[in-house]
Amino acid sequence: MMRSYQLLVVSMLVWCGSVLAQTEQQVIQSGSGSEDTPWFQQTPENNKFALIIVGASANDEIRVRLRGWATDLHASLLEDYGYASDAIELLIDDGSNVGNAASIVSGGSRVADIDAAIARIRSSSEAGDQLTVFLFGHGSSTFGDAKFNNVGPDMTGAELADMLSPLTGIDMVIFNTTSASFEFSRELSGLGRVVVSATRSAAERYDPLFGGFLVAALQQKRADIDRNARVSVLEAFNYASGQVAQWYRDQDRLSTENAVLDDSGDGLFSREPGTGQPDGLLAEIAYLNVISAGTQKTSAEALRLYAEMQSIEREIFILRNQKVNYLEEDYWNRLEALLIDLATRTRRYNELP
Amino acid sequence: MNYPDVSRPFTSERAALRRAVHRGAAIAGLCMLSVLPVSDVDIPATQFSLSLVNAGWAQPVELSALDNLTRGDELLLRGSYLGAIEAFNSVREDAWREQAALGLSKAMAITGQYDQAIAAVRARVRDPADSPLAATQLAELYRMTGRSAEAQELLAEVVAGQINPPVRTLVQYGLVLDLRGELDEAAVQYNAALARYDSGLVFDSADVGMVALAAWKRDEFHDANALFAEAVRLDSNNLEALTLWGDLFQEKFNDADAETNYNLALTINRRYSPALTGMARISSPERYLAMSLEVNSRDVAALETYGLLMVRNYQQDVGRDYLDQALAVNPESVTALSSLAALAAINDDMPAFDALLERVNAFSPESSEFFAGVADYLGNNYRFTEAVGYARRAIARDPNNWHAHTVLGGNLVRLGEEVEGKQHLEMAFDNDPFNVMTSNMLQVFDVLEGYATLETEHFRVNMSHRDAQVLWPYMAPLLEESWRTLVEKYQFEPEVPVLIQVFERTEDFAVRSVGLPDIGPLVGICFGKVVTLISPDTLSANWQEILWHELVHVFTLQMTQNRMPRWLSEGISTWEERQARPEWGRRLGLELVRAVEQEQLLPVSNLNEGFTGANSNADLSFAYFQSYLVVEYIVEQYGFAKLRELILEYAHIRDESEMFANVFEMDMVSFDNGFRDWIRQRVDQINVYVHVEDSDDEGAGHGHGVRENNSAVLAELYNNESLKRHMRGRVEQQPRDFQAHLQLGIVLFREAAYDEAIFHLQTAQGILPDYSGYPSPSLVLSQIYEAQGNNEAMMEQLAIMLQNQQHDYASALKLAKAALAAGDTEQADYYLSRALAVDPYQPEIHRSGAQLAQQLGDTGRAVQEFEVLVMLDQSDPVDARTNLAGAYLDNQQLDQARLTVLRALETAPGYQRAQDILLRAVERSNQSSEVISQP
Repeated sequence: MMRSYQLLVVSMLVWCGSVLAQTEQQVIQSGSGSEDTPWFQQTPENNKFALIIVGASANDEIRVRLRGWATDLHASLLEDYGYASDAIELLIDDGSNVGNAASIVSGGSRVADIDAAIARIRSSSEAGDQLTVFLFGHGSSTFGDAKFNNVGPDMTGAELADMLSPLTGIDMVIFNTTSASFEFSRELSGLGRVVVSATRSAAERYDPLFGGFLVAALQQKRADIDRNARVSVLEAFNYASGQVAQWYRDQDRLSTENAVLDDSGDGLFSREPGTGQPDGLLAEIAYLNVISAGTQKTSAEALRLYAEMQSIEREIFILRNQKVNYLEEDYWNRLEALLIDLATRTRRYNELP
Repeated sequence: MNYPDVSRPFTSERAALRRAVHRGAAIAGLCMLSVLPVSDVDIPATQFSLSLVNAGWAQPVELSALDNLTRGDELLLRGSYLGAIEAFNSVREDAWREQAALGLSKAMAITGQYDQAIAAVRARVRDPADSPLAATQLAELYRMTGRSAEAQELLAEVVAGQINPPVRTLVQYGLVLDLRGELDEAAVQYNAALARYDSGLVFDSADVGMVALAAWKRDEFHDANALFAEAVRLDSNNLEALTLWGDLFQEKFNDADAETNYNLALTINRRYSPALTGMARISSPERYLAMSLEVNSRDVAALETYGLLMVRNYQQDVGRDYLDQALAVNPESVTALSSLAALAAINDDMPAFDALLERVNAFSPESSEFFAGVADYLGNNYRFTEAVGYARRAIARDPNNWHAHTVLGGNLVRLGEEVEGKQHLEMAFDNDPFNVMTSNMLQVFDVLEGYATLETEHFRVNMSHRDAQVLWPYMAPLLEESWRTLVEKYQFEPEVPVLIQVFERTEDFAVRSVGLPDIGPLVGICFGKVVTLISPDTLSANWQEILWHELVHVFTLQMTQNRMPRWLSEGISTWEERQARPEWGRRLGLELVRAVEQEQLLPVSNLNEGFTGANSNADLSFAYFQSYLVVEYIVEQYGFAKLRELILEYAHIRDESEMFANVFEMDMVSFDNGFRDWIRQRVDQINVYVHVEDSDDEGAGHGHGVRENNSAVLAELYNNESLKRHMRGRVEQQPRDFQAHLQLGIVLFREAAYDEAIFHLQTAQGILPDYSGYPSPSLVLSQIYEAQGNNEAMMEQLAIMLQNQQHDYASALKLAKAALAAGDTEQADYYLSRALAVDPYQPEIHRSGAQLAQQLGDTGRAVQEFEVLVMLDQSDPVDARTNLAGAYLDNQQLDQARLTVLRALETAPGYQRAQDILLRAVERSNQSSEVISQP
């Protein structure tokens, strides 16, 4: 089943090649067969939503920190990723006494509030849309019962999974940045979902730094490593977990947190998702950006070139994902040829009206 | 080593008798006239007599022979030796006389009455074969007192005369044969003891302990461990087995388990000398040795250990005295003879060495233990070449001396002869995998195998691949600069290549240097031809200063064939730091004034004691400092030529006072007086007040690294009126109280009372303009100006600080960036080099370096900086590779540009900046090909 899933994802990548080649301002033309793509189709017709949940805080210092992260994230989603303000649900504590965040807070983060927010998103969304859930706060995982610490009764992973289950056809990304987040996150794992956990076991119960570095990764698209003006979940994960590891190294301390990711739906999380790994393929194409229709070159040559560029990029991604199957020299020769081809066409494309 | 057997021979008959005696005596004593039967008294068939105490008449109880024997054994076990002697002496009956003699002999031996001990047991030995235990005891005493030939004869008779000689006899015979160099014959005896055990014929705890010793001697360490455990299980009061077991642990560097065993033995008998001596080798040596010698002032093991301790602490005369005492008791003590011979060798007194060797050869020709001991000592004292020679002799005599292989291997490595060194270490490890030092040193080889090897004209350097990328570009030119400078200055060329090993992990550095993973505060070591260093990636100090310091050692050690005393070697290396760069090295300030006021300065003739007697990092730091002062004095008063002349004197075998007389035409006392006068003049010139309540002013470290001003650091924590009041009082009384002005400045800065803070800080700065501690007046002033928004003044103070502070890369980088922004490329270059001298692993430094390179149009330098950034800057590898590719392109390295940008585009195929570089690289390559191909 794993193998067939991976082949499916590779195929999906082929069809999604058209999506990956574009900048944010260009109209995405459907690649042939893109209507067959089951997850994370990137078109201007798809809406993107965000649900930011800030749970109960153990003390004032933590409260200030978590709220800072949440409000910074909210601002970044608006400014850097094109979200509409009404597409973001920001839930904090009991919803009141939120200081300067009052104008952007949708409500509290009690279980009922979360349920209500998800219901609102469900009513506004349709199949093909994307929801990204961010969990900031404390988690616990004792006696086999993983929980997110809310104001009021704590929410279990199973409860949140139940609340999200009616959102059928909606692409989902979940970032759980709490302590002891792993078991909770496992409850949310599913086919077509990308789930990120700040910790890899219930024993990692100290407040992680991952949440702050995640927000930093997203701000100003710092994590846009492949320079396509978008940040994928994989890029954000790699950037944030890399920064976490560096922080502990600089402090000369053993790391008490290890972020992991699952996008294969098997409930098995990877510390280093990516090419050739069980996880990472979906995360690589799951972008947080809202795709907007922008200006497009209209000349026939430009359109032709554009299609060719998309095709070449598709070939590059396929070749890259098959790297292990080539001798090193052969791989680089092939890649070079494709890259030169792409660069040449891009240069010509930029010169055209 | 022979340990008296104080385990109790335990028979069921004697146990029953003892219980009966005790009960009967107690009951009879209490109820002397009672006629009531005592039904629980077990009256065996053996008759015994018992006299009752009549309290009214107060007559003493006379115990039977058995009672006395039992009591004697018990007293011997518990350490009441005189009581034991008395008890054994009280045994009159012939049937028990031999046992009593054995017990008496052991009690006398353990209290150092060796002659009496011998006499006590010799009387029982008419035919050794008929009295094997007594004969064995006698032989052990003979061996203990340097009469191994007689011991050998005696034991040979026992072994020959008995079909199944006692296990103890076999093992003791083996020990004697070992001592006398008859190794194969010794092995036969050990094997016989082991075979007896394997046949299931060894039951007694004491005998099992002896079998364990035999296994140890046969290098069967696992078996020895198990057998010792069994011996102790059979009798938890077997002190001999407990202690020997501890000795085994200690031999294998397992001090923790050794200590446990010794403590167990001492719990039973706190006066058991072998355990006390064992503990002395682990901790509190003087205390335990004193206790041991109190029990037995002629204990050879304790005297040897004390002697070695004193010798290792450079108290040679005291050490010699103890070793001579050991030899007075046992003229055949190989340990004592070897140690004395090592001292003779160190002092190049070969006639004395030969005489000692002759003594050893009289009973143990070409003793392997002797040569191994000499080699070990010489190696630990930097005489590696000679150590190798003696270790080879040890192995020639006994190829199975694995310790000698370790000594040889370790010293070959220190000479840079790594291939052969590794072979010997591997051989030692294969046969004795418990030697922690051996296994540690081999593990470092594994580390080095993964390292890169880089070379310059005169140096060969091993370092990690990361260091090779980041550090090497800056290390290589510094190495050759040091070579040119020092060769010209000292008119001497060391052997090449000089081997330098840079370790990322402190533990690897320590093991490579001394065999064990803890080396204290040292960050670099020179062995003459080999230098080991900790990577700057692990340090937070000026690595260039450290490297230069060690390279000077290469010169001075080789100039004197490693005979130079430590104080002079460190003094010169520390002095040379400041000669190389004005911001490096030590300063004459608070530390000097305090040293003079507290009379800490040692006489020049005793300067080495400053190192060997150092009890803390502060002590060690001061030893370096004073050594540096002496060198500074020599150069200033007499000139550098005289310093060089003094160095060359140490290449000869002469008394130090003669060397000073040859060079300075005065004795050392006069020289010392001159030095102190010079110091006083310096103190007067510095003219700073040092308050007694201030703590370490310029750091307690070894000397490399930021020197924390503890008093000033504390001031940062306190921000209160009482501190200000106190310090104001101090400056009122002593206007030149530097610390008070500095601390006031800090406190006032924290209160934002800037004007007053500036006044005090500027005053402090005027008192000690070259102060190098942290925080310094210039640092705090820079912070004040920054708070005031006065950028120019802030930068000015940072620049002042950096004139005397060589470990701060952040301030240097700040100045570099400011210079870059102002277009002052020369200043930018200077401050960037200052930053790199401390921490070349900061990406920010290299970004600025790349920017500078681009401003200067130095395409080669830009390439170097971007290459380092690719290694260091993991947060955005696409950008880092693209930048590097661009630099390659500018530097006409078209292939590298192409290959590097491909890697960037592999991750980000749509990245247009990278695409552009790729196309330009390809186009230029094609143009070059066309040019080449055109006729």
